[in-house]
Amino acid sequence: MDTKPVLMKGIGELNLRSIDVYKSQGGYEMLEKAVKTMQPADIVSIIDKSGLRGRGGAGFPTGRKWQFLPDNGEPRYMVCNNDEAEPGTFKDHMLLEETPHQIIEGMIIGAYAIRSHHAFIYIRGEFKRGYEIFCKAVEEARAAGYIGKGICGTGYDLELTIHRGSGAYICGEETALLSSLEGKRGEPRLKPPFPAVKGLYGKPTVVNNSETLAYLMPILRNGAEWFSSVGTERSKGYKIVSISGHVKKPGNYEVPLGTTLRTLIDECAGGLRDGRTFLAVQPGGGSSACLFEEHLDVPYDYESLAKNGTMLGSGAIVVFDDTTDFVKAALALVRFFSHESCGQCTPCREGGHWLELMLERILEGKGVASDIEMLLSVSHQITGINLCPLGDSIEPFLASVVKRFESHFRKYIREPQYA
Amino acid sequence: MIDLTSEAKEIIARYEDPRSATLQIIWRFQAEEGYVSAEAMKQTAEWIGVPLAVVESTVSFYTLMFRKPVGKYMLQVCRNLSCSINGAEDIMAYFREQLGIGHLETTADGLFSYEEVECLAACDRAPCMQVNLDFVYDLTPKMVDDMLAAIRGGTYDVPPMVQTQKPERTWSVPKDTVPKSPGAQHVPSPNDPGGIGDKSGVIMLDRFVRDVTPDRSRERLVKDGRAILEYEDGHGH
Repeated sequence: MDTKPVLMKGIGELNLRSIDVYKSQGGYEMLEKAVKTMQPADIVSIIDKSGLRGRGGAGFPTGRKWQFLPDNGEPRYMVCNNDEAEPGTFKDHMLLEETPHQIIEGMIIGAYAIRSHHAFIYIRGEFKRGYEIFCKAVEEARAAGYIGKGICGTGYDLELTIHRGSGAYICGEETALLSSLEGKRGEPRLKPPFPAVKGLYGKPTVVNNSETLAYLMPILRNGAEWFSSVGTERSKGYKIVSISGHVKKPGNYEVPLGTTLRTLIDECAGGLRDGRTFLAVQPGGGSSACLFEEHLDVPYDYESLAKNGTMLGSGAIVVFDDTTDFVKAALALVRFFSHESCGQCTPCREGGHWLELMLERILEGKGVASDIEMLLSVSHQITGINLCPLGDSIEPFLASVVKRFESHFRKYIREPQYA
Repeated sequence: MIDLTSEAKEIIARYEDPRSATLQIIWRFQAEEGYVSAEAMKQTAEWIGVPLAVVESTVSFYTLMFRKPVGKYMLQVCRNLSCSINGAEDIMAYFREQLGIGHLETTADGLFSYEEVECLAACDRAPCMQVNLDFVYDLTPKMVDDMLAAIRGGTYDVPPMVQTQKPERTWSVPKDTVPKSPGAQHVPSPNDPGGIGDKSGVIMLDRFVRDVTPDRSRERLVKDGRAILEYEDGHGH
């Protein structure tokens, strides 16, 4: 199976960071054609027809998101989200460092499609090297006439601003990202109003993930049908999947949506390490519930994963073999969400911290039997009552492993009357 | 203090609202001074036209903004899921042992600061870390030895951070000293009956009722508690 069919084509073989190499592969041709010969509305319609859904985590149809922008004459903003920090995800990091011009071209096409004249990219603070590579790529693109006044000799102007994050997972949530981009604490805002109506500086704004934007160029070049003919009924096209954990060949693999988990784990990632048995897989980043042996033939697409009680999220697959201690694994993720809670909503701020303390106590051998029920109860009570999805992200993984691997938790509970 | 006036002006001009430039300017101060000094925040507040408290509030939200001096080499080791199941715990223990310091601490000579951080988006190369934000992948104890020796010997290929002030033992407020909501502090913890170990502010009604309250009000509380839970359940909670 070709695991580098579209966005990953050439990565590892060519120096796509250079604009000359990128252009020799057909880069920026489509952009030029788009701004010279296509109307913004045509691009929106093609992207809508292609069935492209947001690749950052929520999976919202991109074309439809664009259509929510009110036509009220206000300035509009295009924001590219490269604040990748979902545990297990490392695709935007790769695109940023290996093929920055694809992101730039996508940002310009996207901005043109929504008739914006100012685009921003929010780059995670930890990606220092990626930031430097991207800055250089933007300078090259500017010098080549793709950014600035009169792009490709047309009347279309676009400014592109690179904004560096400063260390906060929550800024990957779109409203928190906008708060952060405005120079504030990265605190999510109540929706509605959605960013499409009131986003950056209170103006209509589209926030799209880097991978989503990078797919715009190939879709325009090859047509909506090329993209929508790949994948499943409601999950069209390709997706970069980040596979890590206990596999032989962890890495990014670009595959058609609907590929089974078994194929992804065994064929793409080389299967489990020798002599080990499979215990579980977390299919969609730190916020998703685990799937098990019986789910390995589930197709990797939005609707099949949802039907099985989990989600595709950002496309991060973490595989666990029989060396995994799920109490420690649960602590790693619970501690993460506790640490990254912005603190606005009490259930998330206090509940996450509470669960972290409980898991630490269990690991210290001070657990009691009813802790197991309480882990489920507390994580469930946090869910669904917060401003943003961060608090809701604690329950899925924790509950799925507590239920499936209760023995891992009981093992630490020493008091014989409880064990 | 370094003069960043013209650079700040250029950064502010990139945005429709000057406030957006806050952290971009602070990043520059941190690069020049090794940390975010009170003066840097005051200066930034003046440039963007907001009260100092606004800048302080913003800066304090982000983990990469050091409000106190740190070591010349910031060692940030990933402790999240993919690293943790691939040996990060051993690497972290080895760092602590070799450096003689713990999470969020700086060595007495001011050379190293050490932090255990969340997912760095390099899970295919676990366990991983950053040294002054440069990635190091597929860590082994041998690599840790070599890295520390090279840094101490001045031959490591990542340059040190600027250090204008001698760092203290920690640049951050350790979690356990953060005061929790006063209501929770003196409530015996349901998980630690009779003790005051719980600082989280979360009280689980069922345990609280069972273990803590006197007999005569117990029945009443149970009844009220049930009513609350049933009410919530009935409302799509």
